[in-house]
Amino acid sequence: MSEELIQIETPFAFNEENQREFDELIGRYPIKEAAMLPTLHLAQRQAGYITPAVMKYVAELLEVTVMKVKDVVTFYPMFFEEPVGEYVIRVCHTLPCALRDCKVVLDHLKAKLDTDIASETNLAKGTTADGKFTLMKVECLASCDVAPVIMINDDLYKNLTAEKVDEILDNL
Amino acid sequence: MVEERRILYEHLDVPDINTFDVFRQYDGYTRFEKAIAEYQPEEIAQMVLDSGLKGRGGAGFSTGEKWSFVPRDIEPRYLCCNADESEPGTFSNRYVLEKNPHLLIEGILICCYAMGIETTYVYIRGEFTLGKKMLDAAIKEAYEKGYLGKDVRGTGLNIDIYTHPGAGAYICGEETGLIESLEGKRGQPRNKPPFPAVQGVFMKPTVVQNVETLCNLPFIVGNGVEWYTEMGPTYADTRFDPPKPDANTGTKLYCISGDVNEPGVYELDLGLTCTELIEVAGGLRGEEVKAVIPGGSSAPILTHYELDTRLDFTSLTLAKSMLGSGGIIVMNETRNIVDCLLNIMKFYAHESCGQCTPCRWGTPWVRDIVQRIADGNGRKDTITRPKFGVAENGRWGDTGETEEIYEDLDLLESVANNIANVDTMTWNTICVFGIAVSWPAVSYMRKFRPEFEAAIREGKLVTLPVAEATVPPEENYAYQQRFIPKEFADL
Repeated sequence: MSEELIQIETPFAFNEENQREFDELIGRYPIKEAAMLPTLHLAQRQAGYITPAVMKYVAELLEVTVMKVKDVVTFYPMFFEEPVGEYVIRVCHTLPCALRDCKVVLDHLKAKLDTDIASETNLAKGTTADGKFTLMKVECLASCDVAPVIMINDDLYKNLTAEKVDEILDNL
Repeated sequence: MVEERRILYEHLDVPDINTFDVFRQYDGYTRFEKAIAEYQPEEIAQMVLDSGLKGRGGAGFSTGEKWSFVPRDIEPRYLCCNADESEPGTFSNRYVLEKNPHLLIEGILICCYAMGIETTYVYIRGEFTLGKKMLDAAIKEAYEKGYLGKDVRGTGLNIDIYTHPGAGAYICGEETGLIESLEGKRGQPRNKPPFPAVQGVFMKPTVVQNVETLCNLPFIVGNGVEWYTEMGPTYADTRFDPPKPDANTGTKLYCISGDVNEPGVYELDLGLTCTELIEVAGGLRGEEVKAVIPGGSSAPILTHYELDTRLDFTSLTLAKSMLGSGGIIVMNETRNIVDCLLNIMKFYAHESCGQCTPCRWGTPWVRDIVQRIADGNGRKDTITRPKFGVAENGRWGDTGETEEIYEDLDLLESVANNIANVDTMTWNTICVFGIAVSWPAVSYMRKFRPEFEAAIREGKLVTLPVAEATVPPEENYAYQQRFIPKEFADL
């Protein structure tokens, strides 16, 4: 990661609330590096996605190299390195949901939001033009008894049909 | 009709059971109090060993035995609770976390007392936002009531529990992957040995247990070992002299999904058959069972010939499959097995952590081959070759017949077996993810070969009737390999 790239980004720092939470969680581990995942979750919640500036900030906090933070960010699908919509829609498409017609839900969402499905390397592809929604497929959400399911940000929606999807999107 | 026996899930639907006061009304924390008042830590460990409790996370390893490997003279020791429930078809831990988190805390307390552990990390998968919120709230309450923190209930024990969120990687459910992830790195599994019991998180002795395993502990302590061992079958492993009891004790939270009328979690004694379980889950949705996945998507598939297989650790191992995490997925006659395999292989190709070459490359190759077959571009060759199978002498060999070569099917088996060989049970990868890939790939292909052949021959997906799609047991190599439990007689 070049210095230039870091400099053109707006610098990042935790706000007061997140700083408090960070101070609390860093005390849980015998080594600072272990707080990597919770810290990145906090940072992503504040910044929207993990920018180079965020990585630099987290690296300084945890006393590791920026490369090490990047290494972790690229491994886990829940961390985004590109901007995502206000609502991230995760559609489960693993076998139990597939047996309960998750394809109908996915196709309906695609048509309704008029967007493609985001891939991990190209989130913009699945983000609507107004930047409101990002549509992505995810692996099993561990709710196979109420399949098909989707997650919108932190909320799980169960036993979906095309009509229910409409209702959910209207109420957001 | 088999009756549900609710123990772990008994109070799950009680309103506000997630709060301390309500949980307390239903004997909450009394089992922990009994443990510290009546037993020494070593006695609890011995009880767990005697109970025959097997780990519910997937491997089915004896919990008591695992604890016995932990050196008690190295400080500090850690407990990692594995709540990274990501195996497709499994969803029982979610309900415990969301509805009855105090039960998990009580289980953790008992384990900590027995093993002299002061710090516990509960690794919750990142998508379980509600579960994490509920557990965090319950932990906070337990601290306030003096069941966690310094000097628990005046006993001099110091016990802390912290939740640690994952970030969407399936491999972090593997115990050493979980440990790496907990240490703030990529969740790539470690070489074993050293096992986590000796060198785990932060290179200290670590007990890694699934949520469900820990939730069993209060009941073993509260009701005694004898009560616990009465549930579920115990076989005698006659390979040992004197025969070693092979316990499948306790209840299991069976998660049943797919083509049944009432999918959900059913708590039943170990050892009931597939047919009985489908009946409990409201019966089949459809005309006929085509296939059953018995233990999460990694487990080899069972055909309609094998529905009498008992769903416990021993019986399923003997049937060349596994109970795994207890995620049972049922498929009816309308399902195409090639399509199902494609779905599962996409999952594994996505989730391979990329550490070992056979898995990093092999898994996408397997996916691509199945994709090619499903797209109707499967490769075939018209030359014939001797057919291998059960020969006249009853052994595996040349049958004297000839068969058409389906190049892609051979390739599929070859690639899968080079990630992990399902016949010899050896894997060329660091962790058992390799086996989790090749087990479904090879078992689906061997047991439902006509459907794969039809897809290649016709150039499109063809769903055959159940009887035609399934290879009869007597011709099925994988099936032949299973040794019938002659060595395992009922005690």
